[in-house]
Amino acid sequence: MNSTGFEPRIVAFLCNWCTYTAADTAGVSRMEQPPNVDIIRVMCTGRVNPVFVLKAFAEGADGVIVSGCHPPNDCHYQEGNYKTFRRMPLLEMMLDQYGIEKGRFHWGWISGAEAPKWAQLVRDFTEQVRQLGPLNWKRQIESKE
Amino acid sequence: MATLIIDGQEVHAEEGQTILEVARANGIEIPTLCSHPLLEPYGACRLCTVEVIRRGWSRLETSCTHPAWDGLEVKTRSPAVIEARKVLLELMLSRTPNVPVIQELARAYGVTEPPYPVEDPQEKCILCGLCVRVCRELVKANVLDFSQAGIERRVGPPFLEKTRQCIGCGACTIVCPTGAIEIVLANAAVYQEKPLGPTSAIWVPSLQAVPRVPVIDTDACIRFRQNDRTDGETADACGACQMLCEAGAIDFTQQDEIVELDVGTIIVATGYNLWDPTLLSQYSYGQSPHIITSMEFEHLSNAGGPTSGQILLSDGRKPQRVAIIHCVGSRDHNAHPYCSRFCCMYSLKHAHQVRDKTDAQVYEFYMDMRAFGKAYEEFYERVQEEGVTMVRGRGAEVEVLPDGQLRVKGEDANLGRLVQVDVDLVILATAIEAPHDADRVAALFGLSRTEDGFFAESHPKLRPVETNTDGVFLAGVAQGPKDVPDTVAHAGAAASMALALLDKGEVTISPQIAVVDEELCSACKTCIVLCPYTAISFLEDKNVAHVNEALCKGCGTCVAACPAGAITGRHFTTEQIMAQIEGLFRMPIPQLAEGVSP
Amino acid sequence: MVEHRADILVSCLHDRCPELIPAFEEELERRGLTGEVTVVEAGCRGLCAMGPVLLIEPDGLFYTHVDPADVPELVEETLIKGRVVERLTYKEPETHRSVCRYEDIPFYTKQQRIVLRHCGLIDPASIDEYIAVGGYQALGQALTSMTPEEVIEEVKASGLRGRGGAGFPTGRKWEAGRKARGEPKYVLVNGDEGDPNCFMDRALMEADPHSILEGMIIAAYAVGAHRGFIYIPYEHAGSVRSMKNALEQAREYGLVGEDILGSGFDFDAEIRLGAHSFVGGESTALMHAVEGHVSEPRPKHVHTTDSGVWDKPSCLNNVKTLSIVPEIITRGAGWFACIGTETSKGTQVFSLAGKINNVGLAEVPMGITVRELVYDVGGGIPKGREFKALQIGGPSGGFLPPSLLDMPMDYETLADAGSMMGTGGVVVLDDRTCVVDTARYFLDFLRDESCGKCTSCREGIRRMLEIMTRITKGQGQMADLEMLETLGQVVKKVSLCGLGKTAPNPVLSTLRYFRDEYVAHIEDKSCPAGTCKALIQYYILPEACTGCTLCLRKCPQNAISGAKKEVHVIDQTLCIKCGVCYDVCRFDAVAVR
Repeated sequence: MNSTGFEPRIVAFLCNWCTYTAADTAGVSRMEQPPNVDIIRVMCTGRVNPVFVLKAFAEGADGVIVSGCHPPNDCHYQEGNYKTFRRMPLLEMMLDQYGIEKGRFHWGWISGAEAPKWAQLVRDFTEQVRQLGPLNWKRQIESKE
Repeated sequence: MATLIIDGQEVHAEEGQTILEVARANGIEIPTLCSHPLLEPYGACRLCTVEVIRRGWSRLETSCTHPAWDGLEVKTRSPAVIEARKVLLELMLSRTPNVPVIQELARAYGVTEPPYPVEDPQEKCILCGLCVRVCRELVKANVLDFSQAGIERRVGPPFLEKTRQCIGCGACTIVCPTGAIEIVLANAAVYQEKPLGPTSAIWVPSLQAVPRVPVIDTDACIRFRQNDRTDGETADACGACQMLCEAGAIDFTQQDEIVELDVGTIIVATGYNLWDPTLLSQYSYGQSPHIITSMEFEHLSNAGGPTSGQILLSDGRKPQRVAIIHCVGSRDHNAHPYCSRFCCMYSLKHAHQVRDKTDAQVYEFYMDMRAFGKAYEEFYERVQEEGVTMVRGRGAEVEVLPDGQLRVKGEDANLGRLVQVDVDLVILATAIEAPHDADRVAALFGLSRTEDGFFAESHPKLRPVETNTDGVFLAGVAQGPKDVPDTVAHAGAAASMALALLDKGEVTISPQIAVVDEELCSACKTCIVLCPYTAISFLEDKNVAHVNEALCKGCGTCVAACPAGAITGRHFTTEQIMAQIEGLFRMPIPQLAEGVSP
Repeated sequence: MVEHRADILVSCLHDRCPELIPAFEEELERRGLTGEVTVVEAGCRGLCAMGPVLLIEPDGLFYTHVDPADVPELVEETLIKGRVVERLTYKEPETHRSVCRYEDIPFYTKQQRIVLRHCGLIDPASIDEYIAVGGYQALGQALTSMTPEEVIEEVKASGLRGRGGAGFPTGRKWEAGRKARGEPKYVLVNGDEGDPNCFMDRALMEADPHSILEGMIIAAYAVGAHRGFIYIPYEHAGSVRSMKNALEQAREYGLVGEDILGSGFDFDAEIRLGAHSFVGGESTALMHAVEGHVSEPRPKHVHTTDSGVWDKPSCLNNVKTLSIVPEIITRGAGWFACIGTETSKGTQVFSLAGKINNVGLAEVPMGITVRELVYDVGGGIPKGREFKALQIGGPSGGFLPPSLLDMPMDYETLADAGSMMGTGGVVVLDDRTCVVDTARYFLDFLRDESCGKCTSCREGIRRMLEIMTRITKGQGQMADLEMLETLGQVVKKVSLCGLGKTAPNPVLSTLRYFRDEYVAHIEDKSCPAGTCKALIQYYILPEACTGCTLCLRKCPQNAISGAKKEVHVIDQTLCIKCGVCYDVCRFDAVAVR
């Protein structure tokens, strides 16, 4: 950890069956990952109300990930990932309007067998958010008032 | 009860019986042509003439009409009778010299050549009147009758013109002893005189049917058809089956019954349909009676089939060259892209059967040989050793030649050449597909379908017999192409799972389910369509949504979507997740000790 | 007061001279005799060769061959002057002696007219005249003073046998009809006379319809039937008209309908028309036609008296049989039983045709010999030719050779001789009639009339005809005779109905009695009678020919050549054997070989 640098805080909403398992596997396999990502497990990305993402940013997250099972057929609950697929682009538009930079929100699909992909995502995304700097959304909102 | 003597044998007769009926019941043979057990006796052919001695007077009478009175003495083969039959057959043979049944009967009485000048060698009708009587008495269509008299007498519809009164039932052709009446089937894909489908309106579906009891096809049955045609006026046409059934088992008044059962589990084992090869015209299916599907070949080769299991062409010859084409409609982007899985093995079996039953050369056009199972590969080798020629390349086209032979064209990929072979019989290993009413079945049981059209299992690897609807299982090809051993295993699995469910008597469900707060629910119905398990229903009386806790899997999609926030996802409530998010940022960031890298 | 002077009964009008009666009426009017002389159209009198005939009562004068042109003379001479017109009287065939009185004419004196008792003597359209001569008395007697069983006993005792051809004892038939179980019962009258050479049923229906009706009602009473059908082919317009008229009149007089003559017995009848065919007269075919179907027979294992029309007990009788019944009732069974032979009681109406002088109907007692019939009643053979055979029984009958000339004829003797009584149709053959050809002719008729239902009749007759035709054309072989015999026997025994069963009779009986004629056709290729065209040749006898050129001119083929007064010659290559030269030659110079 770099004591001089900014360490981004990233919240990841992962579906239990795919990406969470991948993350679990990545951890167990000791794949190299920075510790910046905090994981919140949901049963399915379909459970992810876009409000959760906003809440995370509001509470202080610098970046948010939502990741679940691959469409078309992997979703454990058949179609939950499709609902996510519909909600997330709309959410992106909203985040943009709020002034939250594009690079701070990532949503995608990682299956349970793709642990290396998860580790890579963590590395890349952490670096990406680090470059963007801290968001401090709460402070920003308060300061604008 | 009457007693009479026939050929020296004492026999007994019931009231109303004729001499012919009594003789036949006692195993005494009398030749007949115009008599039929279901029709009134007519007495036209005179062949059943016997000598009847009554009160000392001897006369020649027809046994089909003469009542079996008490005290009669009957001689069925006295010299007078034999001479009479001989002369009658001479007369008949001179009228219809080329009718096999007349030739046979005549030969039995020593007549080999027609002794009188023959007027029309192609004449087949012997004016027995069976067609007229069956049409009048049984079918009650009254289409056929005699017209003109004497030697001009002939049978036909009024003025010998086609008439719409004829319902095409075919009773006249069946009853005609000489084959003078023919029904011509248009577009018969298989042999006209030996159709592979049901030949009568009452039939046993197959020799392996369970129960092996005949059914009446009410669309073909004369009684039902006539009843419909005449709006109930002719309600008792035919009924031949009922008249003949000794067990009295036929009941025309049976109605469809709708039975309601409360069941705990459902196993969907609706099988498959054969794809229609006419959809790919290059195979020319339907253009020749000798291009048949694999299923038709199975029927042909079956001991209970139209040829008692012999492999014969439509004219009764054995084929000399046979081609089997794999993947007709399978692995084909113009039809079905998937592989139908079990056709390779049965095509090898067919090749083996052809080699075994005939001396024909067999050419098998295949793309890949799927011999995946136990002893399958060994069988494949064996068939090759039996001399079947394997051509690696899908049979591309079947051409019907003018002389009736079939030209199969394809590419032999191993040789890298286009090849063609002229054969007598082509067997198309036709693709299988989901049954044609699969969408209705799916809607009924809440099943989804995979891209290939078959019903979707819960998980392609781990849950082959379960569906997304709890308690509904899949068995067999309904879930996807598989051969018999796999079907048995699959079905066994479905049965076990169903039994396990039933056995428990109760269903254990996960507590992670969604619950609707009826007070908060605003009846927008957004959640209802979202649920992939159809677990949410709308209660009209309460005007709220309701989650079926047995069906809910707890994915939380409805929870996230509810605009009113009326749905709680137990154990993953919004409050809990929010608390988690808050908690993450209340905690201090974990500080690692110096020098320790993450 | 106008004195009724005379009645003129005119017979045989329908086909011959419809103008005869108007001619009389006109002439009478002209002479002012209208009120004094009645002209009546009476029924057939039977002397067909000489029609139209007249009977003038009360003088009993009989005139033949009357033409409208003769009317003025007749009125003048006979009616006014009371003289006989010689040229119109009946002439005896051999002596040409004129016989002017009806009762002296041998043709009639030899007859005993029971069936034909009223024919030609009353106006058939008048029920009153029928009653006046004693009609419907028998009905009254039967209904009021006899039980049905007594009626049956009387008919049985009389020995009356059905005159329709089969000769079944009528009393026994009625008894079976009475005993039969089932309602309703029917009586049927067979008016479908089928034999081509028979015309007595027609004569009876047109001349004396009420006698048939009376017999029918008595039959119904005896059997217990209340409904009757009179079956007449619609082609026989005269019979239909006559019977219809009689039925209406009877109904008017309460002789048909409810409570007939106050006896409590109900009976009504209707006339059913059918399409005429030979087989239509067969009882089961007739019943089939009454039901509304085609005239097609069915096996008669069960008698129609038990199961006939619509499977109900049906009693069918011929018109002649029924017309005899009233006489039996009034005169008694004993009277009838005294006429005829031991087995065949009463009289038979013969229709005489062929090579015979007195062509027509003659009713004589059963047992008359062939010779008596042909020569005494029939007046002998024209042109004095030799008798060759008597064909009796219609197309189903057989031939009687000269050796049987003195055989008394009744049902049994005829059957034994290989022939049958049938309905009494008689054809006389002389030495110039070919027996083989005649038999072939009957077969031809039967082949056309066969309904075609059963194999033996339809195919058998056709094949027999083929053989017979070949023989008459000189293409026969000796083996054919055996074939005809075998085929004939089988067809006879195996066929379904009477037509088939009797069809081979002409052939079989001629084979029996005239085999040598067959042999001549086959082996000698010659026709002894000189009629089979393929086998004969006309030629001119040089010694007789006078060269009159008559035949030369008449020959349709111009096959005769020769100059006037010189012997003529027939060119055989052109000759079509029409026989015209033979007929016109006055010098017997044309011969046949």
